[in-house]
Amino acid sequence: MASEQLPSEFDVVILGTGLVESVVAAACSRVGQRVLHLDRRSYYAGKWASFTFNGLLSWIEEQSKITASEEHDWSSQLEDGEDLIGLTTGDVSQVTNLQVFNYTSEEEEQVPSLEEEAKEDEEEDEGGADQTPAGETQEEGAPSSESEVKEEINTPAQKSQPEKSKKRLTYAELLKEGRRFNIDLVSKLLYSRGALIDLLIKSNVSRYAEFKNVIRILTCRHGNIEQVPCSRSDVFSSKLLSVVEKRMLMRFLTSCLDRDTPLLYQDFAERPYLEFLQYQKLSENLQHFLIHSIAMTTPDTPTAAALAATQHFLKCLGRYGNTPFLFPLYGLGEIPQCFCRMCAVFGGIYCLRHSVHALVVDKCSSRCKAVIDSTGQRISCSHLVLEEGCFTQTAPPTRCVSRAVLITDGSVLPTEAEQQVSIVTIPSESPVRMVELCPSSMTCIPGTHLVHLTCQSVGSAFEDLSPVVNRMFRTPDSDHPEPRPEVLWCLYFNMPEGLESEGGELPPNVSVCLGPDGSLGHDGAIAQAELIFQKILPGEEFCPPGPAPEDILYQGEEPDASPAQPGEEPEASSSQPGEEPEASSSQPGEEPDTGTSNQGEEPEASSSHQGEAEASPTCKGEESETSPSQQGEEPDASSSPCTEDSDTCPNQLEDGTQG
Amino acid sequence: NMAIRELKVCLLGDTGVGKSSIVCRFVQDHFDHNISPTIGASFLTKTVPFGQELHKYLIWDTAGQERFHSLAPMYYRGSAAAVVVYDITKLDSFQTLKKWVKELKEHGPEDIVVAIAGNKNDLGDIREVPMKEAKEFAESIAAIFIETSARNAVNVEELFQKISKQIPPLQNPDVESNESFKLTQQPPPSTRRCC
Ligand SMILES: Cc1cc2nc3c(=O)[nH]c(=O)nc-3n(C[C@H](O)[C@H](O)[C@H](O)COP(=O)(O)OP(=O)(O)OC[C@H]3O[C@@H](n4cnc5c(N)ncnc54)[C@H](O)[C@@H]3O)c2cc1C
Ligand SMILES: Nc1nc2c(ncn2[C@@H]2O[C@H](COP(=O)(O)OP(=O)(O)O)[C@@H](O)[C@H]2O)c(=O)[nH]1
Ligand SMILES: [Mg+2]
Repeated sequence: MASEQLPSEFDVVILGTGLVESVVAAACSRVGQRVLHLDRRSYYAGKWASFTFNGLLSWIEEQSKITASEEHDWSSQLEDGEDLIGLTTGDVSQVTNLQVFNYTSEEEEQVPSLEEEAKEDEEEDEGGADQTPAGETQEEGAPSSESEVKEEINTPAQKSQPEKSKKRLTYAELLKEGRRFNIDLVSKLLYSRGALIDLLIKSNVSRYAEFKNVIRILTCRHGNIEQVPCSRSDVFSSKLLSVVEKRMLMRFLTSCLDRDTPLLYQDFAERPYLEFLQYQKLSENLQHFLIHSIAMTTPDTPTAAALAATQHFLKCLGRYGNTPFLFPLYGLGEIPQCFCRMCAVFGGIYCLRHSVHALVVDKCSSRCKAVIDSTGQRISCSHLVLEEGCFTQTAPPTRCVSRAVLITDGSVLPTEAEQQVSIVTIPSESPVRMVELCPSSMTCIPGTHLVHLTCQSVGSAFEDLSPVVNRMFRTPDSDHPEPRPEVLWCLYFNMPEGLESEGGELPPNVSVCLGPDGSLGHDGAIAQAELIFQKILPGEEFCPPGPAPEDILYQGEEPDASPAQPGEEPEASSSQPGEEPEASSSQPGEEPDTGTSNQGEEPEASSSHQGEAEASPTCKGEESETSPSQQGEEPDASSSPCTEDSDTCPNQLEDGTQG
Repeated sequence: NMAIRELKVCLLGDTGVGKSSIVCRFVQDHFDHNISPTIGASFLTKTVPFGQELHKYLIWDTAGQERFHSLAPMYYRGSAAAVVVYDITKLDSFQTLKKWVKELKEHGPEDIVVAIAGNKNDLGDIREVPMKEAKEFAESIAAIFIETSARNAVNVEELFQKISKQIPPLQNPDVESNESFKLTQQPPPSTRRCC
């Protein structure tokens, strides 16, 4: 069914389906460019991908294979005055130091609950130490991950205690339920007022995804896991803070949001944040929260940078929830896919398992005229966008991120309440951030949590992160008195951060997208995508809103039922496909006339107006004009009188301090 | 006042079997021989009454991503039903049906309602897929089976009625199952009150 040949002429050819590439694809397609989007892999999102458990095992195995670049001679495809630049067919920016540890049981067995087990563990503390799988790196090519994965660890506590026991997950069950996991390679969150959220909303791509609030910010201090107060009510109800501390914290944070904060810290701008906080006479308690959990930095971060981070944090509070962060259902890997769908919906053509072997460069202009794909087909393009790692001569990565992925049997801070997504900041030389995902985030199965740890690499991921894992969880190598969730399975690896400027002299119409960086948010990726888009199409709007499903009209029908504008910007209408002849003609489709469909007779003019479901077709325009403002919920939307949206709250915060 | 239930339905099947035409017929009651990929249509909607409920179908077309077999897993997320379409005049399209069903089992929700639609049944004289064979296959995977013609408006509404019947009744409308939300809507109502 996929034996069809690709068309051979495009405006923009894009290689790789990571976040940056996918946003560029959507943006180009949206304004009428003919886009071909390829990925040599069998899955979307490249390094941004999320996998089922079984998919992750295949990925692990794949990483151990050295993908030799095949040599081909495509010179027969060249015309006069053209040159070839070869691309690698493998990935030169691979992950390294991959290690897998499997602590699931082979057979079903009953194990005592956390508390009991913890006690027993103290007694027979060496219980499982000798069974730790050797931490071999995959690079050395030696043992396949397969064999490591199969290695079995028996728990120290094997006597079945009838009381308070729960069923321990077996490896077979893990495999059987594997499709219900969505395990991200990259661990990031969405800042509620970050560039990605803004782009999702602006472009209407947000329609394709659902999100959960990150409910808790936790931190690890003196071996304890504590919840960081994250709203005024949290602060006031927090048992960790004294009344004086509460007032000081409130006063300090309020001042951070002040316009003339710079005056406040002038002398400290380049000095360590810790010194500034000490100067402000904030207690050690507060220093910890402010440095590690709110600014998410280190004590020696320059004060100006730390305060900027603090402001960002505070501004993001309350837009959707009581922390600044959101997480997409089914994992981060959904986001690039959503942008790819946007691209496809506007006519972009998608083909996975398809690579490009060479660029055809015009000797005169030194521009890239075409690419030669893995079937030897020549595909012409005016612009080419590549994922990183396409060139053999890429310099080795200068910075790496250390990652650990754990499947555990519970939360590090269990609550009575509903399942929660939490971020945990763990101070250390290279600060570790940990995101704990619950089953309702659709990333793991009931009875488990999926935990992502990330830090800047100092050594291998195992060296950097296993001490933290042993401190926070129960593994055969850990021994702490408190009850802690048990690690059932874990994976360590290092991932190179975006490789700067590779390939030296690239043709001017070729752009390279960097891979994910180590930061928590997505602003870097989105800024990069916008920059590349503007290089390709200077002056064009970046991702204007797509039409709402209710607003799509078939051309030629009901010419008077003029389409409603989904977006707020009036100029968006001219780029509305299908409704205006000149807009349609710029669409990549062959038959612009059938582009869209009429929803006129639909009773549900707007899902947000359920009470008025009987709206007549002619009302539609008006109806829909009101709904976008509900969708937009840009800051101004929050001015609606006293909603739960706490955008309006920070100003009132001083009241709290008086109370 | 009837409750509106939003049901995501995704379409699967080879390029050219008539997926977009079925959607267009259902939503629009319109057929066009030269239907192009529905540019700009993220999904189309149509609401039909069913018992005490209104079923608002959010119908996701493939946006052409099936052409080179590159549908993204996100396409299947949260679907209440999937319509797998083949062309009764193309044996190939029936043979690849099994691949689509397999892909659905792999990526789709576990409780998804599957319907198999043999389209273009107005072209009975050049039929290549016997109805009996298709029906047996559908039964073997507990799927709805129906032959349709988007061109002649045969069985298209019936297809969706059959789907509606298979959708399990709303269990507990009060229980906000997941606390997840879409960004285009108002931020989820929080339990906290402001000021
Ligand atoms: C530690 C911390 C301090 C912050 N300080 C500031 C700040 O100074 N300035 C700023 O602009 N933003 C600040 N923020 C951000 C701000 O708290 C959030 O934008 C806001 O709290 C979001 O929550 P909310 O709107 O639901 O209000 P919340 O304050 O979380 O909830 C309101 C509820 O809190 C209760 N409440 C309010 N005040 C008091 C009080 N004095 N005593 C007892 N109960 C009270 C009320 O009963 C009310 O029901 C702070 C955030 C953190 C983490
Ligand atoms: N005779 C006939 N042709 C149909 C029918 N449905 C679709 N077609 C034609 O089949 C072709 C492909 O249809 P399309 O809806 O684009 O298929 P898709 O690729 O699966 O979305 C178009 O030329 C349609 O006109 C039908 O029921 N009968
Ligand atoms: Mg189609």
